[in-house]
Amino acid sequence: MPHPLPYYTLVLDGPDAWREVLPGQFVMVETSDGLEPYLRRAFSVHDLSKTDHGARIELLVKIVGPGTRALAARRPGERIAVLGPLGRAFGAAGGVGERPADARPVALVAGGVGSAPLLLLGRRLLAEGVCFDFFYGGRSAIDLARSEVFAALAEASGGTLIATTEDGSVGFRGLVTVPLAERLAAGRYRKVFSCGPMGLLQRLAELSAEHAVPGEAALETPMGCGFGACLGCAVELVDGRFALCCKDGPVFAFDEVKW
Amino acid sequence: MSGPGGPVLAVELGGLALPNPILTASGTFGYGLEFAHLAALDRLGGIVTKGLSLTPLKGNPPPRIGEPRGGMLNSIGLQNIGIEKFLADVLPGLGRFPARVVVNLFGYEFDDYARLAERVDAFPGVAAVELNVSCPNVTKGGIEFGHDPVLLERLVRSVRSVTGKPIAVKLSPNVTSPVAIGEAAKAGGADILSAINTVLGMAIDPWTRRPRLHTTRGGLSGPAIKPIAVRIVYDVAKKVGLPVIGIGGVETVDDVIEFLLAGASAVQVGTALFRNPRTAEHLVDGLAARLVEMKVDRVSDLIGGVLPWRAG
Repeated sequence: MPHPLPYYTLVLDGPDAWREVLPGQFVMVETSDGLEPYLRRAFSVHDLSKTDHGARIELLVKIVGPGTRALAARRPGERIAVLGPLGRAFGAAGGVGERPADARPVALVAGGVGSAPLLLLGRRLLAEGVCFDFFYGGRSAIDLARSEVFAALAEASGGTLIATTEDGSVGFRGLVTVPLAERLAAGRYRKVFSCGPMGLLQRLAELSAEHAVPGEAALETPMGCGFGACLGCAVELVDGRFALCCKDGPVFAFDEVKW
Repeated sequence: MSGPGGPVLAVELGGLALPNPILTASGTFGYGLEFAHLAALDRLGGIVTKGLSLTPLKGNPPPRIGEPRGGMLNSIGLQNIGIEKFLADVLPGLGRFPARVVVNLFGYEFDDYARLAERVDAFPGVAAVELNVSCPNVTKGGIEFGHDPVLLERLVRSVRSVTGKPIAVKLSPNVTSPVAIGEAAKAGGADILSAINTVLGMAIDPWTRRPRLHTTRGGLSGPAIKPIAVRIVYDVAKKVGLPVIGIGGVETVDDVIEFLLAGASAVQVGTALFRNPRTAEHLVDGLAARLVEMKVDRVSDLIGGVLPWRAG
C-alpha cells in the first residue's frame, strides 16, 4: 500500500547515549531483511528529546526507494536496528555560536528533505540565543516538509522563514539561493549552515566565497557502512584528498570541499 | 574456545593457526583497530587488512558504491594508508588481540609484492600475507598477475623467496579456470588460497542513464555472489590440494557451514560487516552453538564434508 505522503517522521526510542546526539550527526538504520537494499540507510537526526529511560530521536524520511518505503511500513512498537550517532556535527570546527562579538544572525538553508538535520541545529541555536533565518527551498509546496515547525522555531529566535518553490505553489517562486544572495549582499549574516542536494550546496559555497561569509554543509552522499569501513562515501577535498562523508563529515566547511 | 564439553573451533591451515575459522575480509574492516569500539576484536579468528601498497593510494573518484539486489557493487580503488604507516601506527595496537593479523598486499608492479612481503617479514605480529592479485578496480597491476598463471607462479615464487610466513593468494572469480590459477599459485609456493575476490559487475541508473559507479565497472559482493564462491571453493579445494579460505556472501552460520562442507578451512566475512559490524563475532558464537547441535566435536571435521549424490 503506498504511503499517503512522500515524507514521514520515524520516532525511535533508544539508549542514554542518544542524549548526546549533536546537530548534523546521523544514524544508520536497517530497512530490510537483507535483499533490497542490502545495506543500512543513513538518516540525519531530525529531533531529539530525553525520555525516562534514554532518549527519543526523530528522523525525517522522504520515500525515495525500497528502503525508505519498507521503513514506512514499520508499525509502532516494532524494534529496528540502528547504529549511531555517527559523524561530525555542525560547528565541529569552531562551534555553532562562535564569534560572539558579531551579533549578526546566521542563515540556515535547506533544500527539500535536507531540512532534516537543521531542526536540531535550530533548537541548539535558539537555546544559545542565536537569531537565525530559515531558508527553505523545494520544487513544490509538498517538498517543504514541516515548514510550520521551522517557521515557529525561526520566529522564536527572532528570525523568519523564507520559503521558495520552483513552481511558486508556496513562498517566492524560484530558487532559494536568490533571496539568500540578496541578504548576504546586504551583510545580514555571519554564517551559513546548510543541507540539501549537491547542486544547491555548490551554489551556496560560491555565495559563501563571494560574500566572505563562512558556512558549513551537511552532505547527502550515499554511504555503505556509515562508520568508515567501506570507503564508499568519498568526498573530494580542495587539497585533492578523498575524505569520507561518514567519518570526516557529513558536515564540511564550504571551503574544504572541491565542489 | 575449546574445553570440556565445548567444540573445538581452532583450525590450522597452511601454517596459519587460528583460534576460530572466522576472519574479516580485506577491505571490509579497515585495519581492524579503528573498529574496536564497534566490534569485539578479541572474538575474531583473524583480521585481514585493507589492501596495502608500498605508498598510500588515494582511491577512485565517487560514486564508488552501488546496491544491486542482495549485494553491493564497489569501486574503491584500494585507497589505503601505505605499508609503512600500517606497520608503525596500527600493527602494534593489534597485538593485544588473539585474532591473527593477515596483511593483504597489493602492487602495481611485479616487484612490489616481494618488496612488501620482505618489509613485513620481520614483524612477528603479522601471521600471514595475502596477495591481492584479483582486485577488479584498479587499471594497473594486481589483477593482471591473477589472471595469468605463468606470471602468477613467478610472482608467488618471488614472494616465497623473501618470507617464511604463510602466503595466501586471493583468487579472482573472473577467469575461466580458477583451478588453473590456484595450481599456478601452488607451484609458486603458496600455502593457502583465498576464494573469492569480487565478481566483476556493472549497474546503470535508469533515470540518469549513467553507470552507478564512476569507473563504470566494479566488484560485486554480498549474498548475491555466494553460490559462485561456493562452487569455486569446492573446485579449488578438491583439485589444487591447498587449504582454502572461503569468501563471498558469508553472513549466517548456515553460510559458514556451507563453505566448510565445500572444502574451506576457514571463512572471511566481508560485506555483511557493513550491514552489521558485529556479524563476525555473532558467527563465532553461532558456529559453536551449531556444532553442539550437530554433535560435531571440532570444526575441522566439517571441512570438505559435502556428500555426493549417488550415481543414478
